[in-house]
Amino acid sequence: MASTQGASLRRWLFNLPPVDWVVHQLRELLINTLKCGPIPQHIAFVMDGNRRYARTHKLETVEGHHLGFEALARILEVCYKSGVKVVTIYAFSIENFKRSRYEVDGLMDMAKLKLVQMSQHGELFDRYGASVRILGDRTLVRQDVLEQVNRAVEMTKHNEQAVLNVCFPYTSREEITRSIRETVREFSTPTQRVKGQRGFSETHVLRNLRRSHLSSVMEEERPRKHDVSKSDEYHNDADSSEISDQEDLDASTTLQHSSSQTSHSPSPTLNPSTGKASPVRRKQPAHFRDPETLTEAHLDKNTYTFPAPPLDLLIRTSGVYRLSDFMLWQCHEGTEMKFLDCLWPEFDLWQFLPTLLEWQWRQKREGVDEGGRGGLLKGM
Amino acid sequence: MVGIRQQAAFHTDRDAHGRQLSASEREKLLKPYLPAAPEKQAASQPPQNSKAAQLFNHKPRVRPALRHAIHYLLFTLIHTIFSLYIRIRQVNHALVDRVLAVLYYHHRTPELIRRDVKGLSKVPQHLSVILQLPPEGGKKDRLEALVHDACEVAAWSACAGVSMVSIYERTGILKSSLQHLHRRIERNLASYYGATSPLKPTVSLRAPHQSSYSPPHSPEPSSHGTAGSSRPHITILLISASDGRQTLVDLTRTLASMAQDQKLQPGDISAELIDAEISESVMGEPDLLICFGDRVVLDGYPPWQVRLTEIYGVQDHRGGVEYHVFLRGLYRFARAEMRFGR
Repeated sequence: MASTQGASLRRWLFNLPPVDWVVHQLRELLINTLKCGPIPQHIAFVMDGNRRYARTHKLETVEGHHLGFEALARILEVCYKSGVKVVTIYAFSIENFKRSRYEVDGLMDMAKLKLVQMSQHGELFDRYGASVRILGDRTLVRQDVLEQVNRAVEMTKHNEQAVLNVCFPYTSREEITRSIRETVREFSTPTQRVKGQRGFSETHVLRNLRRSHLSSVMEEERPRKHDVSKSDEYHNDADSSEISDQEDLDASTTLQHSSSQTSHSPSPTLNPSTGKASPVRRKQPAHFRDPETLTEAHLDKNTYTFPAPPLDLLIRTSGVYRLSDFMLWQCHEGTEMKFLDCLWPEFDLWQFLPTLLEWQWRQKREGVDEGGRGGLLKGM
Repeated sequence: MVGIRQQAAFHTDRDAHGRQLSASEREKLLKPYLPAAPEKQAASQPPQNSKAAQLFNHKPRVRPALRHAIHYLLFTLIHTIFSLYIRIRQVNHALVDRVLAVLYYHHRTPELIRRDVKGLSKVPQHLSVILQLPPEGGKKDRLEALVHDACEVAAWSACAGVSMVSIYERTGILKSSLQHLHRRIERNLASYYGATSPLKPTVSLRAPHQSSYSPPHSPEPSSHGTAGSSRPHITILLISASDGRQTLVDLTRTLASMAQDQKLQPGDISAELIDAEISESVMGEPDLLICFGDRVVLDGYPPWQVRLTEIYGVQDHRGGVEYHVFLRGLYRFARAEMRFGR
């Protein structure tokens, strides 16, 4: 099993134990120093360039993917040790199903192997406090891989410190579509108005109203007309059905409110409305939430990444300058997008460090600027 | 770094002798590279609350404090070095930008621009730019600068042969007066092409949910009926932050009302439906998106359409809207290879 990178002197040198230890300590030191400054809370990676790397280094494509997985493990280590809360990676796109069957099967098998390994080492994730979530349209995945997926998710569900979102198989448009569909579904299920929650009984209010109306009718003959029209309104109003509903509910609740006991002795004007309300109730449209109350927050809630903080940094390797249907909804605001030229298997702390440092530097500068501007405003 | 043998073992789940690795063996392989197990002392300390135990049970204080001090010192050092590096990089980029700007100045001549673009294998059909209102200055000055930028971009795109340009500006202030903007663009194009040139493109200016503005041009001859008018045409679309997420929210509201009225089932909502609606009412997908700021940030750009768009921005660019950035964006686009998941 010859080394995959070729027998280079440099690699042998770095594998010597003392040198290895020094490099390891240096990495630890660097990561801990980074923690002293602001760290992005949510980073997304597009792991591009595995196949190209394999091609240029004359390896099998699957081997390229294995090296990519190792690069991922290194980067995850750096991220979690620095204190990043959520890391999202783009493992497999729905578009990738168009690749050759051999490659797709190979990728699925590799995914299964890695997931099995992950499930057997649940304790490793516990050390980092990381839970694994698999985002995407699971119906497109083979059954055996799906089992492993579910097992891995179950095993790490209890960790709360950090999250690893694996997008497999994922397309951002599918996510947005699904989010819209779920929101529409929420808004099109009739809601049950939770009655009796407010402590005021509607029948009581109505009876007081009627009493004041009746008293005014007793005094003058004129407002007879008003009374009739009002009772007509009550027939057609949604409230009429609610009166009957309310009476039923008042009977069933254990609220020892005085009105609930007396509401069963119907006042003379209530009776005819109760009788007429029941057939109206059946034709009554169910109560829906007003679509005008729909906001971005509802759509946000139904995305796959939901409880995650907004995306701070998106890194794509291999010199491609596209988003390719990844995190379109999440990165449309203030996410900084870095397109790097190195290939994913080569991506390591040394390439990642300048990006993180620049992010930190910019955050500190913006913080200073805002503080300065705020001070200026206060001075004015 | 993981050793070579261990790497190979992880790849194929077998060790050097071909035996299948068990879970515990794999863990042993990984152990040296893991962080320390989270300390469980906190749970065991409260029971030992006797005074004697407290006297003799001192928590390590000096070493963590020292470590923290070292980290902080190193942090300040690294950031100082890094700020220096960033300044040098910015100066470097500024110099390169200046040189390129001089080399590739357009001199308001369409022929020069066309020559620059001639070598490219493909030119985007739909180009998009993100413009920013300058942060400082009086309101009129800022709007003036923005309008100037928009006119310049329109002129360059027209000369390069792009048929559709969408200009994104977060606040949407450009949409407030389409007529004024159209006049400015026409004036700018006239300064590039000459007032009466048969090659000068016709411009139609549009904003989503507003009617298009393309006034009839007086020197338009009766050759309007001929197949393919002799003058190229460029469409300019103005979009703002409300055409991004807010449009998706509006679409969801419409779909929700329809579902409530039983005209639509939630299961009927598919990506194709949403795509058709959005591309018709806002805009289609741009091929290339150019950011003229110093870093690539979408800043509210419509999320749905930017799926396969090449996004280009020059690092550390502080000069605003400049021709060489535009040209470099076009060059990058021509080199791009589309793989569509393959």
